[in-house]
Amino acid sequence: MAETILTVENLSKTYNVRKSKPIKAVDCISLEAYPGEILGILGSNGAGKTTTVKMICGLIRPDSGRILINGKDNFKQRSAAMEHISAVLEGNRNIYWRLTVRENLEFFAGLKGKDPRAIKKEIDYYIDFFGLGTKKNETASKLSRGMQQKLAIAVAMITGSELVLLDEPTLGLDVKTSYDIRELLKQIAAENGRTVLLTSHDMNVVQDVCERVIIINNGRIIAQDKVSNLMRLFDVKAFKFVAEGSLSENLKQALAQIPHLSLAEEEMNTVITLNLEETRNFYRVVELLGSENVSLLSINRQEINFEQVFMGILGRSENGGEKMAAL
Amino acid sequence: MAKKWLLFKQLAKKSWIEFRRYFFNSMGGIITLYVVFLVIFMGYKGIAGAAGPDLGTSIEGILVGYVLWFLALSAYQDVAYSIQNEARQGTLEQLYMSVHNFGWVIGLQQIVNAFYSLLVASVLTFFLMLTTGKWLTIDMLSLLPLLILELICFAGVGFALGGLMLIFKRIDSYMQIVQFVLIFFVAAPAKSFMKLMPGTWGAHLIQKVINGGEGLLEFAWQDLLLAVVISLAYLLLGVVIYRICERKAMQAGTLGHY
Repeated sequence: MAETILTVENLSKTYNVRKSKPIKAVDCISLEAYPGEILGILGSNGAGKTTTVKMICGLIRPDSGRILINGKDNFKQRSAAMEHISAVLEGNRNIYWRLTVRENLEFFAGLKGKDPRAIKKEIDYYIDFFGLGTKKNETASKLSRGMQQKLAIAVAMITGSELVLLDEPTLGLDVKTSYDIRELLKQIAAENGRTVLLTSHDMNVVQDVCERVIIINNGRIIAQDKVSNLMRLFDVKAFKFVAEGSLSENLKQALAQIPHLSLAEEEMNTVITLNLEETRNFYRVVELLGSENVSLLSINRQEINFEQVFMGILGRSENGGEKMAAL
Repeated sequence: MAKKWLLFKQLAKKSWIEFRRYFFNSMGGIITLYVVFLVIFMGYKGIAGAAGPDLGTSIEGILVGYVLWFLALSAYQDVAYSIQNEARQGTLEQLYMSVHNFGWVIGLQQIVNAFYSLLVASVLTFFLMLTTGKWLTIDMLSLLPLLILELICFAGVGFALGGLMLIFKRIDSYMQIVQFVLIFFVAAPAKSFMKLMPGTWGAHLIQKVINGGEGLLEFAWQDLLLAVVISLAYLLLGVVIYRICERKAMQAGTLGHY
């Protein structure tokens, strides 16, 4: 197993609320992140994602457990640990709106102990990489929301940190900018070998960029695996037939005899959904439809998306299901 | 140490860029200070002869007291408002994630601010002297160390308030109260326990340098030692209060929330 860039061991955090019961935000979480991977942390609102991310950033003190960033404890060896981590936090500007693109990059490089003059080429590289070349002398306040987010990620990159935490990096961005940022994140991990740890409510982003995900619910990890493995776990071979118009009562009754099949009327057409437990059921449906010369508009294989996987895992967890999977 | 110097340079550069980019606003602050002094000066001329506190018995006293009050205000407000501004604009967390302890970041920022305040104070003093026609003989070598001690003392007050700001977020009304309390301390007679109040003893020595024409080396060493001890004690106390508040905010997960 490769050396970890991030190790979180038995992390717990309870918030004491005045005149109310304490809230257990994070309950004994352990996780690891490896160089060059994009790891997603998912969960519903209040699941404990932000608390976990902020504890990793050293902004919230855990009640118990420890966090090692490149082998350095982020509270006991704070300065050394902070050399290896940077973050773009949701709900924060993360950059100075009064400074230009270049001035922001220079300032934050200095904050991480890097002389901006010594890394001028690097600054130029990231200005180009994030497509900020034409705006490099504009103050951040004059940039679009998407450009500001790109600048915030560029600032996180310029610090040279091996671990980059991005809290909802595409929140509130238009489709094009969201796509651009996703592509940039892939490049960051692939070309620069950075580890990206991101949280997002957008399952398309997660499915698109993350290799591995951790799903948190009620402060506990309920699933931790590669995206592809989790998709397989919930994969159902389903086919959707769309037949023109309504079917005869006889045909409906015959189809209803086939296991794992459902019928529905949609926009004057009939939709037949078949979970393919047995291949012969597929042929049976085709045969029955053919027997009445039903005109078929389409036959599509149903693809499960990560949102359904996420909801499935969450549902199982809330129904008392056990931990889904672990590396 | 090289990294700290680098940080200092970056903080100074950022302050300079902001001062220059928002020059109109920056100048507005200085002009306001000047106009407020004019009002006080005119008022004083109107009631000349009336008895006043120690520093207020002469135009020189008012002038020195006013500049000192400005420095006190700058020193304590800069710390607290720096923290508040960073939290407001959503950059406080980034400063906490620097490779330097946040105390260094805010401490070095205060040194930058102190330079700025001293520069403004010098310009202000010049124009005030021009307005009042009272030209003070200023022994800078004696004055500067005392001013720095005063700034250190008030920075301590600022750290304590900055800490409270991390927990309570909005303490502006208390900042106003502290402002008036500091006016009182700067102007108060440095007698008995009052000399231990923040700024009082330092202001007393500064008054002696400016109005009395005394040099630093003419002071009794006990007097100078007392000024150093008071300043460092308030700084230490302020930092301790800040650290306690910071720890509480980090435990409650409210650092940077605004």
